[in-house]
Amino acid sequence: MCSREFINEQPREINKTLEREIKLARNIQMKLLNGKQPYLENGEVLGVSIPARVIGGDYYDFYVLPDGKLRIVIGDVMGKGIPAAMLMILTRGAFRSAAESTHGPGETLTAMNNAMYNDLRTLGSFVTVFCADWDPKNNTLTYANAGHNIPLTVTSEEDIAEFPKTKGVMIGGLPDQEYSEESLELDDRGFVLFYTDGIVEAQNKDGEMYRMERLCDVLLKSYQSNVKDIKESIVQSLNIFTEGVPQRDDITMVLLKSR
Amino acid sequence: MFKYSTIEKEKDIEVHLEGDLDIDGTEVVKEELIPMLQEYEQIKINFEKVLFVDSSGIGLLLELVQSLQKKEKKVSIINVTENVANVFELLQLPEILGEEVFL
Repeated sequence: MCSREFINEQPREINKTLEREIKLARNIQMKLLNGKQPYLENGEVLGVSIPARVIGGDYYDFYVLPDGKLRIVIGDVMGKGIPAAMLMILTRGAFRSAAESTHGPGETLTAMNNAMYNDLRTLGSFVTVFCADWDPKNNTLTYANAGHNIPLTVTSEEDIAEFPKTKGVMIGGLPDQEYSEESLELDDRGFVLFYTDGIVEAQNKDGEMYRMERLCDVLLKSYQSNVKDIKESIVQSLNIFTEGVPQRDDITMVLLKSR
Repeated sequence: MFKYSTIEKEKDIEVHLEGDLDIDGTEVVKEELIPMLQEYEQIKINFEKVLFVDSSGIGLLLELVQSLQKKEKKVSIINVTENVANVFELLQLPEILGEEVFL
């Protein structure tokens, strides 16, 4: 007589437990991801990640090196949601331990690929990662790329460009990879944007994409702004464009501005 | 919606993909294409009508091509649109799957 009630009760309980655990997982991810932003004497840096679902697979992180440089990393795990979030945590661990023991961004990516390759191949997944060391003494970025979107540098209200290209296979793509490094002297008053493709591929209700042109427009108009205001302008522009259409992919950006 | 059609000639087959290659292509690639293509020796994958591919789609493509290469099938990818070619290049797919795959 009451067995029916019991049967109906079970899925509700399971759902409640799952919901609670996903919320906890989101908390863990958000706390790890949006941790303390480093204070810089000669510049400002800001990172933000907005998952498409409750949790996401994008990743960014900072690591202050003993010589005063700041190591910045941004990554995008294949897929989204819970599976991507699990691999994002793996990526974070690989970056944190690589950052401590490697000399430059190229070596960091090699160490991350060595640490993660077998697991990612087993799981049929991969991660794109861009890693850069900012030297505040000469305002120079040294960087290496593992298949990630090339960051943008804004040098005036009219000038924006991608970083000079450097090639590298995504993490989990091929074993034993070397990643070449490039350097870029930053503009004293300009800024750079590291980002994931969720920004330029955000869609409106007609299925049209936000695209690079719109992002560049916002960035040029933000030339004089501080990193917090630049971030706000990008998020606002995306919101206006998408008009509340649910986000398809995780959106992540890191802004760096010298002063 | 992601779909495909095929043109077959004995042991050769050309698969025309159509639509965005993303997570919604999972069933088509894993449950239909991979098992079906095992019967052929030369496989051409035509990307002419694929205008967008995301990371999940790239994962599916890698699985598709690598599973066929493991069985020593000759796989080639043809007619890639500019947007999709840019993604392939960024991820260095020719280096991973072999330059000869991309015609």
